[in-house]
Amino acid sequence: MKSLTAERRADERIVLGVFDALLARRGEPIRYAMMTDTPVGQLGLALGPGGLCRLDYSSDEDRFLAGLLGAFGDRPLIRQRAALDGVMRQLDRYFSGRSLTFDLPVDLSPVSGFAKRVLLAATRIPPGRVLSYAEIAGKAGNPKASRAAGNALHHNPVAIVVPCHRIVRTGGSLGGYGGGVENKRWLLRHERAGSW
Amino acid sequence: MTQNERIAKLLALHGLELARHLRRLVRDSDAAQDLLQDTLLRAHRALTRLGPGANERAWLYRIATNAALNYLRSRSRERRALERHAGEVNGHGSWAGWEGETDERRAALWNGIAALPERQRVAITLRLADELDYQAIGERMGCSAEAARANVYQATKRLKLEVT
Repeated sequence: MKSLTAERRADERIVLGVFDALLARRGEPIRYAMMTDTPVGQLGLALGPGGLCRLDYSSDEDRFLAGLLGAFGDRPLIRQRAALDGVMRQLDRYFSGRSLTFDLPVDLSPVSGFAKRVLLAATRIPPGRVLSYAEIAGKAGNPKASRAAGNALHHNPVAIVVPCHRIVRTGGSLGGYGGGVENKRWLLRHERAGSW
Repeated sequence: MTQNERIAKLLALHGLELARHLRRLVRDSDAAQDLLQDTLLRAHRALTRLGPGANERAWLYRIATNAALNYLRSRSRERRALERHAGEVNGHGSWAGWEGETDERRAALWNGIAALPERQRVAITLRLADELDYQAIGERMGCSAEAARANVYQATKRLKLEVT
């Protein structure tokens, strides 16, 4: 009897063949899934060959999918929950507080230059700590570029795991957040990073 | 959204399950790929006409099933496909009552199935080879669960007359 994984591979080959023939999308697919019922609402997750490449606050799957199609214009795309199981397990641990750190490869390849250095600097802020926009700009190599740093953080493609929520305004206010300020407050309180 | 993006969206969302559905019906991966391609183009046209709110998944399944049937008919490969179904039913011993049958009687059974009217043939193939329930058979054939059950019942009745 054929195994389940052999069946899955056969199905996947067919889908990839159609992506190639009909839409000229080739190569390793981006696999995605929606994660519902988290404390910060529904999340869209996407995994590429280099690791987690998207984690978005996304109440609407259609919109999340449209974003992926635009961002990875030459890649096939498959909804495949099983491929994201490991990522979801780590997110569950994070949300339940069992572990506030992630051990996941992250693929930031669509981002480059100063913006990428800002995001990489953010990944080095441990849970429970925060930096100001000026401080993160400094760590990325240009202390005067706090506005550009804010912009890079706002466009972070992998929210939560690349913890752009750990950057706040000098003087103690939260600052903005692409996923909504309420979610930023929830994450920082959850990480015990002060009384926000 | 461009036409290509809309097709890509349908493929990303439903591609894997449709590929499996087609592969099981036609028993040939290359043919399943052609049929999936065809299905997406047709479904995209139909859904553009229908506008938002249409049940995409139901349309895709219905179009895929019809495409597979046309393929099996036009290529007259259904006999071989059915033989392969028979081999698999044989392999995991499904459909209580037919395990333990001789190869001859099984061959007679699948010959009998091949000669059934189209809707009965599809319904009983989905029932035997894919082990679907009537609700799922109805969804794939674009009819109610009751109609699916009736088709399977009629097919079984005819087969019993012819094979025994």
